[in-house]
Amino acid sequence: MNEKELILCVDDEENQLAVRKLVLEQAGYSVLTAGSGQQALDLLAGHPIDLVLSDHLMPGLTGTELARQIKAQDPDLPVILISAVNEIPADAAYADLFMSKLDGPQAMCQNIAAMLARSKNGSSS
Amino acid sequence: MESKVNILMVDDQPGKLLTYEVILGELGENLVKASSGREALDILLKMDIAVVLMDVSMPELDGFQLADMIRQHPRFQKIAIIFISAVHLTDLDRLTGYQRGAMDYISVPVVPELLRAKVSVFAELHRKARELELLNRDLEQRVLERTAELRESEKQLRQRADLLDLASEAIMVRDFEGVLQFWNSGAEAFYGWDRAEVLGRNVHQILRTKLPNSAEEIESAIRREGRWEGNLVQYTKHGREVVVASRQVLQTDAGGARHTILEISRDITAQLQAEDALRKAEKLAAMGRVAGIIAHEINNPLDAIRNAFYLLHNHPSLDDDARQYTRIAEEELTRVAHITRQTLSFYRESKEAVPVSIAEILNDILALQLRLLERNGIVLEKEYSSDGPVLGFPGELKQVFLNLIGNAIQAMPDGGRLRIRVSDATEKGHQREGIRVLIADTGSGIRPEDAKQLFEPFFTTKSTKGTGLGLWISKGIVQKYEGIIQFRSMRLLRGNITAFSVFIPKSASPQMSEARVLSSASLR
Repeated sequence: MNEKELILCVDDEENQLAVRKLVLEQAGYSVLTAGSGQQALDLLAGHPIDLVLSDHLMPGLTGTELARQIKAQDPDLPVILISAVNEIPADAAYADLFMSKLDGPQAMCQNIAAMLARSKNGSSS
Repeated sequence: MESKVNILMVDDQPGKLLTYEVILGELGENLVKASSGREALDILLKMDIAVVLMDVSMPELDGFQLADMIRQHPRFQKIAIIFISAVHLTDLDRLTGYQRGAMDYISVPVVPELLRAKVSVFAELHRKARELELLNRDLEQRVLERTAELRESEKQLRQRADLLDLASEAIMVRDFEGVLQFWNSGAEAFYGWDRAEVLGRNVHQILRTKLPNSAEEIESAIRREGRWEGNLVQYTKHGREVVVASRQVLQTDAGGARHTILEISRDITAQLQAEDALRKAEKLAAMGRVAGIIAHEINNPLDAIRNAFYLLHNHPSLDDDARQYTRIAEEELTRVAHITRQTLSFYRESKEAVPVSIAEILNDILALQLRLLERNGIVLEKEYSSDGPVLGFPGELKQVFLNLIGNAIQAMPDGGRLRIRVSDATEKGHQREGIRVLIADTGSGIRPEDAKQLFEPFFTTKSTKGTGLGLWISKGIVQKYEGIIQFRSMRLLRGNITAFSVFIPKSASPQMSEARVLSSASLR
């Protein structure tokens, strides 16, 4: 059996972060958490992250800004933004996917699985 | 001070002239001497002579001949002539022959007192006549001046009236009873009433003026301060409601007796409407911001709760009952997520308009409402004569009909009939082909006073239950499809019938507004 894929989960709200980590772990992933965009960038440097799942509206670095900086270093690392705002920000396209928190945990897991599969295919071919 | 008059004395004998001069010197008048009839005529032409005193018998031109010549000249017809002569009957006859002018005679030997008295009388008469003439001339001059003044002021008035007519404001003059005396072209154009129709009538009755204060208050303000300003609601001849900024100024005529009121009205209807629209737009923008904030603040905890229940649902420690409860909670939370998406954002599920079956959408909505229909004892009558595929976004169209059907059900808490009809239709005015959906209920009906505001944002009759946005959002969506939404509510004795009709043209090609999209579709 393959080693578990490592997801970096970013959110400024503790409860959100904790519960999302559990959902992702239950779905079979290893999860690292960061409470801010800056902390996420720090963690990225030292860990073999497969996918970043980040909130958008955070103090300091926003999700889209974080995605822009990640893509500048590693364009192939998938970034999914998951947001509670009701409008897609103009710079949302830095991320691979901008999804609504209203879509629920199942949709989130499906999106992550699809994204990881695409990323794996892309790198193997 | 009285001025001297000229007395002309005519005689060929210098001695006699000298005598007369001595006798008349006492009168203090101006004495002029002539030694012949010719010289006398010369002097008469040059000077204003009051009395001519002449000897009848003179060589060349005698007294009577001279008198004839004097009398023939129109200027001298009224000159007083005194003859000095021995009295003969024939002479007296000739004297009476002179019809016009003063005429007298003195017989020789001359009695000084008598001569002085006669000359004095004529001199005085002349002086009075001259004064009278001066007065007359002065009077005439004054009449001329006054006439010129009047002509000038009339010209100014006419110019002012022309100016008043040039003004785009409605300008009118009325008395305190409201009777109209002046009505400019601006007023004719604005109110639609011609001058001839309104002059002499009560202007504020004609315009159905609604005053902001009582008429008495305004009148006393005008009398006290000479002016009043305020906004009036009035009606034009064609029944259009207008709002004017009115300035009313007291006018008093020169005598101070007659008071009139000059009213100048400026149309501020459009200005007020624009301000109103701006206020509404600001309210909407504020609502948008608030909706964004609320969406964020609700969606975040909602997400955490859903995730928590998702974890709980699969937790091995739960027995079947507990797992059932979490399932119910999850379902309800999904509904909450759906509701916040529907109300706090303008969610759309696809980027391109797709063919949408109106009948299918209506059935979806009705399936969700079935329990409510049953519980309220509402009989459903469906009549679909068209499947009505139109190009659009299912979510939007669902929202329109969910609002209308939801309102209909809420209007019938004690039961009734809900009739839904779908048919192909042709729009009367533009001959456009399309689909018409009719949603009719037998509920509480729409009060006439609410009808006007029905499609306004934040208007609700459901007190705390409604957001007041349902119909407003529905109208916005229908308009985007270039469709028509309208309603009729009939309040009858045996019950009310309220029917909403939505027409969606088949030619519609609605675009999605990018800024409002919240979608989980990949952006790549």
